[in-house]
Amino acid sequence: MILVGELSLWVALLMAAWTTTVSFSGGLQGRADLVKSGERAMYATFFFTLLASIGLWVALFTHDFSIKFVASYTSANLPKVYTFTAFWAGQAGSMLFWVLILTLYSAIAVFANRNSNRGMMPYVTGTLGVVSLFFLMTTAFGANPYERLDWVPIDGRGMNPQLQNPGMAAHPPMLYLGYIATSVPFAFAVGALITRQLDAQWLGAVRRWALVSWFFLTIGIVLGMWWAYVELGWSGYWAWDAVENSSFLPWLTVTAFLHSIMIQEKRGMLRKWNVTLVVLSFLLTILGTFITRSGIIESVHAFAQSNVGNWFLGFLIAATALTAWLVSTRLNDLQAKAELESMVSREAAFLYNNLVLIGICFATLWGTIFPILSEWVKGDKITVGPPFFNSVNAPLGLLLLALTGIGPLIAWRKASVGNLQRQFTWPVIAGVATLVVLIALGMRDPYALVSYLLAGFVIGTIVQEFAKGIGARRRMYDEGLAVASVRLVARNRRRYGGYIVHFGVVLLFCAFAGLMFKTDVTAMLKTGEKVTAKDPYGHEWTFTSQGLSSFEQLNRRVLSVTLDVTKDGKPMGLLSSEKRQHVNTQGEPTFEPSTEVGILESLQQDVYLVFTGAADRETAAVHIHFNPLVWWVWFGGIIMAIGGVIVMWPQAQRAEREGGYVAQIPMGRETEAAGAGA
Amino acid sequence: MSRLQSAQSSRRDFLLRAGVTAVGVAGMAWPVTAQEAAPPAQPEASTGAVTMSADSYKPVSRPPKPGAKPSMDVRQVEAFERNLACPCPCTLDIYTCRTTDFQCGISPAVHGDIQRLVDGGYTADEIMEALIGTYGDFILNAPRKQGFNLLAWFAPFAGLALGAVGIGVLLRSWRLNSRRAAEAQALRDVASASAQASGTSDATAELDATPDELARLQAALKDDR
Repeated sequence: MILVGELSLWVALLMAAWTTTVSFSGGLQGRADLVKSGERAMYATFFFTLLASIGLWVALFTHDFSIKFVASYTSANLPKVYTFTAFWAGQAGSMLFWVLILTLYSAIAVFANRNSNRGMMPYVTGTLGVVSLFFLMTTAFGANPYERLDWVPIDGRGMNPQLQNPGMAAHPPMLYLGYIATSVPFAFAVGALITRQLDAQWLGAVRRWALVSWFFLTIGIVLGMWWAYVELGWSGYWAWDAVENSSFLPWLTVTAFLHSIMIQEKRGMLRKWNVTLVVLSFLLTILGTFITRSGIIESVHAFAQSNVGNWFLGFLIAATALTAWLVSTRLNDLQAKAELESMVSREAAFLYNNLVLIGICFATLWGTIFPILSEWVKGDKITVGPPFFNSVNAPLGLLLLALTGIGPLIAWRKASVGNLQRQFTWPVIAGVATLVVLIALGMRDPYALVSYLLAGFVIGTIVQEFAKGIGARRRMYDEGLAVASVRLVARNRRRYGGYIVHFGVVLLFCAFAGLMFKTDVTAMLKTGEKVTAKDPYGHEWTFTSQGLSSFEQLNRRVLSVTLDVTKDGKPMGLLSSEKRQHVNTQGEPTFEPSTEVGILESLQQDVYLVFTGAADRETAAVHIHFNPLVWWVWFGGIIMAIGGVIVMWPQAQRAEREGGYVAQIPMGRETEAAGAGA
Repeated sequence: MSRLQSAQSSRRDFLLRAGVTAVGVAGMAWPVTAQEAAPPAQPEASTGAVTMSADSYKPVSRPPKPGAKPSMDVRQVEAFERNLACPCPCTLDIYTCRTTDFQCGISPAVHGDIQRLVDGGYTADEIMEALIGTYGDFILNAPRKQGFNLLAWFAPFAGLALGAVGIGVLLRSWRLNSRRAAEAQALRDVASASAQASGTSDATAELDATPDELARLQAALKDDR
């Protein structure tokens, strides 16, 4: 099976080349047979990539250490679940995993459009073929997971302990699913540009894929935050690391696109901008992959430096040049008759929202690449770390949060003064009330206060929107509260699913603001000694060392410290943190010791214990953090994902209306419509 | 309309295309073969691997000032160290790195230097200058707001301002389009009114709203009343 897998990789490469060649030539020559052949070759590319992937999994599970990848990332005593996830633990395997998802997506996109978008599909298939071909070539020639060693080691090197975590098992696949989904909208954009079919038709297919990308990127990013928080032991979940930023960039552009696409759907405007956002999302994905895999920027979780980076740089330049040329030669086709009745309208609010999202994207990209720029221009190495990103992005983030509340309150086309007064009154009261309560409770940090003011305002907006919708349904259809609530969301998933996503965003902002109040204490504790500290809420915590214990567990030796915890004199239980030394089957240490933190979670705050080291057989060095509202990050992420599912869920045909939310009442029927519910 | 035609490929066509594909793949593969001749890359490390290089640490010491007293307390030192990037590849600040993991030998050493300078009576600014003098700007967790680095700080806001101006221009042009359209519509309305006066009508608007939207509209109209 391993040999079949290895050969399948090469066959998949040929299939991708065939897909590309015949799809484009079929489209250009108008040959249906070639187009069909290209589509079938796309399915075949996926099939052979799947075989290649199965082959690698078989190699991993049979511990075939003659394969360099297997020897580099697994050992015979690695738990089964991590033997499975070792597939994406290193450069070569993760490249193959990328191709597997890419070809799967491509096959789905081709199948889903077998009877639609036929004019542009040859070019869509061809573009997906080009992207697949590039990744397959990079895998086969630049980072081949089937590369053999000259000799067969007794055991493998094992997996980095930090990757032996459930978060890391799920985080990369989720991110990949999000990253790679940008390829399909990109292919549709290229297809639409080549065929000049730039009306709203192609946007339908693109929007769904953009949502898929957004959904998985959101889950992937939040899972990555969780992994960093529980595994890296520095008590934070976001460090503005280059690799983290790489995942954040396409998320921002896809989010901007999901908002701006509504303007094109409703008003036919922003055609150029939407095509640009689709292309930009894909290019940022490639840029992020280049940053992660080239080693050009130092990062704690980047892959090792390799020549794969050159491949990505070349592809990035070629893709940018090609799409820039395509867009610039189709500007006339992208012209739209744009009209705006008022600067105070939903359309304008979406534009501001896009401006801020792209502003954050630019600031993050700029900060990420500025060290390279500085080294080129001045020859000096500099660091652009969290203080920079926090200073620049915090005000922009707050602006975005404000727009999250403002946007839904403003009417399409034109908002009247009366409409604004009605819409804004309760949300503003909710925001101000939140501010007053927090000041009364003693909060003084201006950034935190602004954050919570805006959070109150946005939640006020969301509640008001739901209350109006539910109230209207209850009056109109005489439904109960629960039925009206469910049907309101079910009948307009896109709108109310979006509000649920907004609610998740608000929770995230609340959590970010909470971290401004985090406190910590360090101590050296002998058995029986204790340390006392106050948390941000003023409670007094006591931590008494129960001593150090050492034991063996699975593929590691563990040294653990346990603390007895009390809060204001009340027992809160035991909290342990470990130092783990992983070993191979010979009992020899592999990798540096790693830290496993202990966390006492609650809605209010996490008590986060880090065992930083043992000074002697009885004395433990510990670092205890009080991290307010961290749980809200995970909760916010879950809410966003639920909102995403609601938005993605196919809408029943009967509820669809081309006009969306804009009701067009014909002349002479206003009275009749109003009278129906009276 | 699609330009696609239904046609069967001959065997010759098939072989010709297969040949072109194979040559294309071989051609694309060529630079890779050339790359492989280059010196081998560093042994591949796994994701998350952090290698500590002892070379990254450079001692920073100054003789204590006469009659020196510590210039900062423990909390101030912690805050000071949060502004410094650890020279190891952890991408953390000195304080976080040294209190997170004992494996890094660099951040505790830098902390030791800082503490000795603090005890020697040196101010935060003096210690910062000493560290920058030894490590360069790399030791700072964010670029200083001077010289070329100003570009780092102001480019995002300049970009945002440019974008705002661009949106302003765009919205103005859309407003202009709208006014022109409104004027044209007014002219059409006058013409339509004339036509109605002469006994003809072309009003063909349609109702386009979901039940929820109608319900909200009714509620709003009711509120207005």
